[in-house]
Amino acid sequence: METLNFLVQGFGVALEPYNLMFALAGAFLGTLIGALPGLGPANGVAIIIPLAFTLGLPPETALIMLTSVYAGAMYGGRISAILLNIPGDSPAMMTCLDGYPMARSGKAAEALAISAVASFIGSLLATIGLIILAPLLADFALTFGPAEYFALFALAFATLGGITGKNPVKTLTAAAIGLMVATVGVDATGVQRYTFGMLELYEGVDFIIAIVGLFAISELLFFIEDAALGTRKPIAMNRLKLSWRDLVAILPTSLRSGVLGFFAGVLPGAGASLGSFVSYTLEKRVVGRDGRFGEGDPRGLAAPEAGNNAASSGALVPMLTLGVPGSGTTAVLLALLISFNITPGPLMFSQHGDVVWGVIAALLIGNLLLLVLNIPLIGLFVKILSVPQAYLLPIVTMVAFVGIYSISNSASDLYFMIAFGVAGYFFRKLDIPLVPVILGLLLGPGMEQNLRHALELSDGSWWTLVGSPLAIGLWAFALIGVLAPYIVGPLLRRRMPSGPAD
Amino acid sequence: MKLNDRIFGLGLLVIAIAYGTSAFHFPEPFAGSAMVGPGTFPKLLAALLGLCSLYLIFRPDADNPWPSARTGLELVTAVVVLLVYTVALVPLGFIISTTLAVGTLIWRMGAPPVRGFGVGLAAGLIVYFLFTALLNLPLPAGPLTMLEVY
Repeated sequence: METLNFLVQGFGVALEPYNLMFALAGAFLGTLIGALPGLGPANGVAIIIPLAFTLGLPPETALIMLTSVYAGAMYGGRISAILLNIPGDSPAMMTCLDGYPMARSGKAAEALAISAVASFIGSLLATIGLIILAPLLADFALTFGPAEYFALFALAFATLGGITGKNPVKTLTAAAIGLMVATVGVDATGVQRYTFGMLELYEGVDFIIAIVGLFAISELLFFIEDAALGTRKPIAMNRLKLSWRDLVAILPTSLRSGVLGFFAGVLPGAGASLGSFVSYTLEKRVVGRDGRFGEGDPRGLAAPEAGNNAASSGALVPMLTLGVPGSGTTAVLLALLISFNITPGPLMFSQHGDVVWGVIAALLIGNLLLLVLNIPLIGLFVKILSVPQAYLLPIVTMVAFVGIYSISNSASDLYFMIAFGVAGYFFRKLDIPLVPVILGLLLGPGMEQNLRHALELSDGSWWTLVGSPLAIGLWAFALIGVLAPYIVGPLLRRRMPSGPAD
Repeated sequence: MKLNDRIFGLGLLVIAIAYGTSAFHFPEPFAGSAMVGPGTFPKLLAALLGLCSLYLIFRPDADNPWPSARTGLELVTAVVVLLVYTVALVPLGFIISTTLAVGTLIWRMGAPPVRGFGVGLAAGLIVYFLFTALLNLPLPAGPLTMLEVY
């Protein structure tokens, strides 16, 4: 068992006291960020990235910390969903359905505990799935040539909106904008492109600045616009009365939903939103008439929680093995890897094995930490909910400022960040998704490089891009990804509750 | 109304054309292949964005409501605060500029101004000492040079 060996090594990395400390800090910060209503995991990870940089952490430590933030944000998201009926991000919408009624009927503590256990089971199953599937997929990906990679990148963009996405053309528009911004700077052949003679643009646009601007600053502007909404008072906590029987009762649900969620996370175009939705719907079918779904059935709470946490771990599979993230948060994690000069993909497993397996082990440890952390500290997190947003968002913005400023101590970076924030506000107003913009920025250089290699190998014939069955298959999937929302989308969307998109 | 997408699409079309035309005028690279020059990939992108913008112009979605004039003014104020924060960061130092910027934002978001500036000052002080004393990352001290940690 080669994999098992690597995993043991990974645990060695993740259990170093230094790394463990950052994992704990990350899990705590992540839960805090996730619990803040309206501040999703992608935002949270985005704000913390510059800090990871300026602290000069080694890559494995930075990644371990941010994976913990990621896992923590998923845990935290459920707190505002259950106690406030406000989902922090779109997958948490399904959690509101049974979580909020359960809390209202005086079982807030039980609802939080059950969802924590279900989240843990979902993540655990998915991490095991990741351990089994990732090396297999990485081996398979070794057979990819440049033409296949080019097609794979196209597939990533085409499916990013998800089959429930509203308008795939807007996803493509966003991707094109991101890719175009990525071409700014001096290219691989030494030619200046779109720099307008500005020295700051010679090295291109730093995607960390773009990410923080697009996510954090545009979030501030949106908050100001919604400021009239005010803060809702969270439901008061009660004394926890949970028996083993209650936990055993949700076990089958959590296992089923965890497996389902994992596959939804791995598949391009599905993601955590669909993971929690499919899990909830299936569970409703399986339980049938015995359930009181929608009125506070614990199983209706466990299913989407296990499903979305499993999907978020599952989403790491394509990101780590192919370098193609399937969600906003994994895109932000990819940004971190690239800035450490680690190219995700099959070669990462052989060249940076310690990083990959350290992260996977950290995911397991992080989840355990979160489960333990969540029970005694739940009161603290609930307090966070009652802090008025008028105080929170300006402080979050300030943290973003400090983070970006301390990367290079330059004011021009801050101007770029503000500009991206304003652009992000307009994009969101126009329903142009932000994640493809960021993915375009991240994947642009790689996409161009693969195109160049592919055409050099074929002496300039463009047919090489569809020259192998694998490439044709990838293009076919990309085409389905663009067309499916028009065909299947309306059917699915009608059944899903509407809410904020991430 | 479906004006937003049309106007945005039109803007993107202009950008696509400008971006695409300049891709034809890049200088020939000394090194590298003739197969894929610096302009090849941008030309593809210009075509993609051009097609997308045409779709937006001819098949626009319904508009999202824009904020009222008053909220709009608050948004502009927030952006101005951020810009002034950036300008003032070095001359005024981190603590003073943070107090002013965070305080103004909190106040404009509807909290009592005195408490807002108080929170701003506290946040500025905490982050300043966290960064300079604990993490060894310099932040501009401005006129408060006696706080500089060496």
